[in-house]
Amino acid sequence: MLTLTGLRKTFNPGTVNEVRALQGVDLTIEDGSFVIVLGMNGSGKSTLLNAVAGTFIVDTGRIELAGHDVTRWPEHRRAKLIGRVFQNPFSGTAPNMSIAENFALAARRGQSRGLGFALSKDLMAPLRDRVASLKMGLEDRLDNAIGSLSGGQRQALTLLMATWLKPELLLLDEHTAALDPKSGDQVITLSEEVIGRDKLTTLMVTHSMQQAVSLGDRLLMMHRGRVIHDFSGSAKKRLRPEDLIDLFDEIRRRELLDESAATMLQSLYV
Amino acid sequence: MTLLVGAFTIGLILALLSLGVLVSFRIFGLPDITADGSITLGAAVTATLCAQGINPILATAAGMLSGALAGAFTGILHTKFKINALLAGILVMTALYSVNLRVMGRSNIPLMQHTTLGTWGENFGHTLLGEGGLMVFGWRVGAGEVALLLGSCAIAVLMALALFAFFRTHLGTAMRATGDNPQMIRALGANVETHIILGLALSNGLIALGGSLLAQYQGFADAQMGIGMIVWGLASVIIGEALTGGRSLGLTLVGAIMGSVLFRLLVAVALRWGLNPNDLKLITALFVFLALILPGLLKKFRRAPVQSAAVAGSQL
Repeated sequence: MLTLTGLRKTFNPGTVNEVRALQGVDLTIEDGSFVIVLGMNGSGKSTLLNAVAGTFIVDTGRIELAGHDVTRWPEHRRAKLIGRVFQNPFSGTAPNMSIAENFALAARRGQSRGLGFALSKDLMAPLRDRVASLKMGLEDRLDNAIGSLSGGQRQALTLLMATWLKPELLLLDEHTAALDPKSGDQVITLSEEVIGRDKLTTLMVTHSMQQAVSLGDRLLMMHRGRVIHDFSGSAKKRLRPEDLIDLFDEIRRRELLDESAATMLQSLYV
Repeated sequence: MTLLVGAFTIGLILALLSLGVLVSFRIFGLPDITADGSITLGAAVTATLCAQGINPILATAAGMLSGALAGAFTGILHTKFKINALLAGILVMTALYSVNLRVMGRSNIPLMQHTTLGTWGENFGHTLLGEGGLMVFGWRVGAGEVALLLGSCAIAVLMALALFAFFRTHLGTAMRATGDNPQMIRALGANVETHIILGLALSNGLIALGGSLLAQYQGFADAQMGIGMIVWGLASVIIGEALTGGRSLGLTLVGAIMGSVLFRLLVAVALRWGLNPNDLKLITALFVFLALILPGLLKKFRRAPVQSAAVAGSQL
């Protein structure tokens, strides 16, 4: 279970570049829940994921994951509990190392790494099977450098790597945004399979309305560093892409109003 | 022939330098120039201990460890204090110059009168081959020289094998990934900072071992002996990559050794042809400069016609 209490984060405080990325996020995610996070650019959805992953330490608030208070844990320590797939397909794999070596690294996520031989037989047999299940023909290329593969292939492998050891929480950060539609669909299908099979607690950021309505059992909409809508259960199931577009329009109208109201007030009183 | 055997031997000893440079520059992608200081530190520590009659093996191990410590310092400056890697290396290298003088107590320690690994090697050669030495292609080569050549070859190969094995363990693989994609390996739970400190310790340990063996081979340690060594190491690594086209880990390691030997041979030949030894560092620097820009230039030349062909193709 993931519990966030009063998360706040401001980047570059006190400068012209000040960004209040998170302005008080309270959230509880039950075990096995697949949560979609939606929001406009700059709404704080990726920041939320990075706060949970430990890319930075939050200013105030508390992060609890699987019974641990991880608020002050550095990123590499949280990795024991968290599997991640990044937006950039190049971020999740070591390009100059072979597919097998990348998986050997993933098979030790968050564990101590001793002087045992990395590419042991215990790893290679299940690895071949899992990679073969992707039906990308990669099982015969396990010794090839991962950098020689396409973005879609690399993203599929990253997803397998992130879930090789069952994580307490899986973070997917727009992991299909940089892919062409076909490989994007493949990766989404794979994500559904893996998440469904292992009942993974998942937090997925997306820009795609289609993905937002068809995936997951709960949907959060973020705006200006806060969660402004939270749909779950039957409300989530009833959502259509048009509903989401309406919600976005509403946000946009409110933004416009805010701005024009501000200028009006400014012209009158300043 | 003596010249040639000498060049081979020094090439093999300095292969440890190029292996160290390979670890920091290529595997970790860190421009660590601590090498200039740590190679001298290895030589200084070993020479000082040998001059006091300490067992040469212990003295060599101490030299290697001192280099590893220096590398760890650079790593700590870089990771914990967020100092640019190049600057961290310069700081430690500069500090080491004083440390080396302190260790030796003077700027030069001659080892001719003392027992070193070099003396052991020569004695072993004499008992094995007799005083006459060996006939190689019609030239007479001293038994001691042959023994030292084989000894340095054995050490270089042994170290390369050890590195090869290490970089295929769980820890070693994670350390390679640290250089390849730090974001990824952090997300997989590895402490990138620790890996960098370990890696620079490993790199400079190897380099200091090279310095220690070099001092024992040439019979002295000198405070100035490290100047420009990083460029020599880099030149060897570059030559090695050109020779093997090294993509895989094994090939790059073999390449580093071959590169170092070939570089020494080139230097020996150039000096024999009358190159002023004072110009050696200038020429090495020029060589590294060329080697660094050549791949980019070649790509440009190669890409130009391809691009125009593609444009022509799209117009059709």
